[in-house]
Amino acid sequence: MLYKVCRLYCFSDTDRQDLFQEMVIQLWKSWPHFRGESKFSTWLYRIALNTAISDLRKQRRRPSPIDVNEIPAPLQHVTWPGEEDQQLQQLYAAINRLSEIEKALVMLYLEDKTYEEMEDILGINQNNLRVKMNRIKEKLRKMTKEATYGVR
Amino acid sequence: MELDSLKYVWRTLESAPAPEKSREQISALLRKRSGSAVARMQRNLRGELILILATYTPTILFYFLEFDGKLSGISWAFILLLAILAVYFHRKNKLLRAMQCAEHTLRSSLQQQIHTLKKYIRFYVQAGTIMIPIMTIFTWLIIRWKFPPAPGADLFYQISGSPWWQHPLTWIALLIPVTAGIYFVNLWYVNRLYGQHIRKLQELLREMEEEFS
Repeated sequence: MLYKVCRLYCFSDTDRQDLFQEMVIQLWKSWPHFRGESKFSTWLYRIALNTAISDLRKQRRRPSPIDVNEIPAPLQHVTWPGEEDQQLQQLYAAINRLSEIEKALVMLYLEDKTYEEMEDILGINQNNLRVKMNRIKEKLRKMTKEATYGVR
Repeated sequence: MELDSLKYVWRTLESAPAPEKSREQISALLRKRSGSAVARMQRNLRGELILILATYTPTILFYFLEFDGKLSGISWAFILLLAILAVYFHRKNKLLRAMQCAEHTLRSSLQQQIHTLKKYIRFYVQAGTIMIPIMTIFTWLIIRWKFPPAPGADLFYQISGSPWWQHPLTWIALLIPVTAGIYFVNLWYVNRLYGQHIRKLQELLREMEEEFS
């Protein structure tokens, strides 16, 4: 899970390693305070996202609008039929252009978290989460459509 | 392509083995210095404390041991200043520890960080500004005590009973613009150090707190 968060929020290997190291340190520091009041996975997500989002770190290189090299390494050997491959790349590129909060929402959505769990992790109420999620989906649809028509 | 279709890809990522880290590798990670903003601020604070101790301690010893102890009052003044600075460092460290709240929800962590960072900045500016009149008053008292006004023929002494360079009005006249100047310099400096970070955190919080009817 930590690696997925690092891949989502960092664009270079150095930044990913730095962020991973920071998350491990924060987990280690916070472990004595974990009382089991929330689920362990909730606690883990909170620390990972807090570290990735709210820490002051040097400006990471932002990907170009269509950065087709942003598919995570483990997936590079997986092949999809031609058109799906391009659309997948465009979707990843579009996700990379979202804000930090939107990325967190997308990640938790892809992790199949319920809105209740998302509320526990992020502190945003479920109604607002649903609306935000719909807006993000619409945004991603538009960005991938623009990329498709722009490329074609 | 819809976001839902990415769930399959995401699950594929999950099943792909993540690079394993051995116990030694994790220990090595934990031994490294944290790069977080708060950790850096804590290290800077420790550096400040070490610098103060390194400069004040020889000064205190010097005035105790030299001049047959006649200027030991200056040493005591420095010790009193050190006690005030100890409170200053303790308060700053407490605020920095309050900023480390990674286990809270993202929203309350952002709220806590913004609130505490603003308190930290306010304290830094106020304490940095107040130190100037405090140290000036200390210096003036020491000069008055150790260098009693010698009878002088100048007009200022004849009117007020003090040479111009010892008169309180002279010191006040210098102190006000210096204190005001230091206040604005401190304000500019902390804004340069932390202003962008606060604005970024506030932006993130605004995005999270957006209400939809």
